[in-house]
Amino acid sequence: MSILNVNQIQPVGSGQTVTISATNISAGSATVTAGTFTGNLTGNVTGNATGLSGSPTLSGITSVSTSNLTVNGTAYPNAGPLSNRNLIINGAMQIYQRSGISTNIIGYHLDRWEFGASGGTRAVTQETLTTGSPYDEGFRNYFHLINTGASTASNSYREITQKIEAQNVANSGWNYTSSDSFVTLSFWVRSSVAQTYYVKLKTNDGTAQAYGSAFSLSADTWTKVTKTIPGNSNITINNDNGNGLNVAVVPFYGTDFTDNSFVTDAWATYVDPPQLPDMTNTWAGTTNATFDLTGVQLEVGSVATPFEHRSYGDELARCQRYYYKISGASNDRYFMGLAENSTVFYGVMHAPVTMRTDPTLETSGTASHFRVSYSTDTTCNAVPTLANSTPNTALIGGAIVASGLTANQAAMLGSNSASSYLALTAEL
Amino acid sequence: MSLTYLQFNYYRGEKCSIQATNGTAQFSIPLNSENSDYQEYLKWLAEGNEPLPADEPS
Repeated sequence: MSILNVNQIQPVGSGQTVTISATNISAGSATVTAGTFTGNLTGNVTGNATGLSGSPTLSGITSVSTSNLTVNGTAYPNAGPLSNRNLIINGAMQIYQRSGISTNIIGYHLDRWEFGASGGTRAVTQETLTTGSPYDEGFRNYFHLINTGASTASNSYREITQKIEAQNVANSGWNYTSSDSFVTLSFWVRSSVAQTYYVKLKTNDGTAQAYGSAFSLSADTWTKVTKTIPGNSNITINNDNGNGLNVAVVPFYGTDFTDNSFVTDAWATYVDPPQLPDMTNTWAGTTNATFDLTGVQLEVGSVATPFEHRSYGDELARCQRYYYKISGASNDRYFMGLAENSTVFYGVMHAPVTMRTDPTLETSGTASHFRVSYSTDTTCNAVPTLANSTPNTALIGGAIVASGLTANQAAMLGSNSASSYLALTAEL
Repeated sequence: MSLTYLQFNYYRGEKCSIQATNGTAQFSIPLNSENSDYQEYLKWLAEGNEPLPADEPS
């Protein structure tokens, strides 16, 4: 073997290339540096390859070990499943089966999102996005909260919560008892008031645990917020259909619910108070302040991957496990049934997907919104009620007409008004 | 959701659900402990509120 000991190899004349004709090139523990490498690089590469550009082809790679794999600015998962990653349902705020309800109701408005509030007045609507950064990422709707009546009282609050079914978390791939396993929460948010707001996670099985984290917004500016949250050995999540994990975005908590002893960005046993540190109350004290939310994603892993856009039909079906509404204009029919006697009718309403548990029946609440039809249409004189429900069916009816039915007569329950509706609800 | 509980509903003589209202809509709540509306009713009872009268079926 011949050994060439030199400090530099340079091309001759004005050339720019040095060609090495060899089967193997070994640099030992040294670094091989050049402005440009051409040809094929084969064998074991154990050092750092930096500055790759042009169109190099990497082949024979059996694994990529990195905590953050990003391609053209897009983050790829580093844990959890490669599809169905988003544990949040209706994160894009597309589905609004309750559309038309009073905007000031405390409870559910947009599907799966529960609005909680006390003090002052407020209104919730689904709004349409037409421009802006979330629009550019494919979002067309957002949850819109208006603080119509300001209140900074100690018992006032505003929060937007999604309760995630426990078995969806238990089977997600998050090793939630390990501090080395993470979930990442990301969302787009905009407020008319610049200040610090909070997100809050709360588990519900075993000894409840809570996690709070702050984020700051500039006024009237859509901001993408990302929070990576570790597991904790005190977390319990059952593999059942109960409430496993609450994810809340909090515009305001009054001081009845807060204290600066609360430690952010760490799990701790849930107590009330404090659920969060004391909050700036500028937003709460501003009449008609707004708070907008969309693109909410909770996924296993420590990186926020692109939002998992789902088709309207897919998202609606997921929502219908918790709420299913049918409504119609006057003359529309809901379902068939049988008369038990001259005044009593019962029929079966079928859920399109298996619901979480035996659902509650919700009706538009006015008897004259409904009719029982056989050879004629008879307006109801009582609101239909629930006789029995399973996750797939609901037996609905009662003594709902004054007279006219015949025992064992087939009949239909239908709508008598554009305001008429029936809904099955199995929310957490 | 804040509900006012109205009465029990009966089906063929058996107590089957609780009728309630939020002032606009009406609700029939099944007597199932996994149902969150029924859980709220039980919580309301535990807070010392008067149970619904055990009416005879209408």
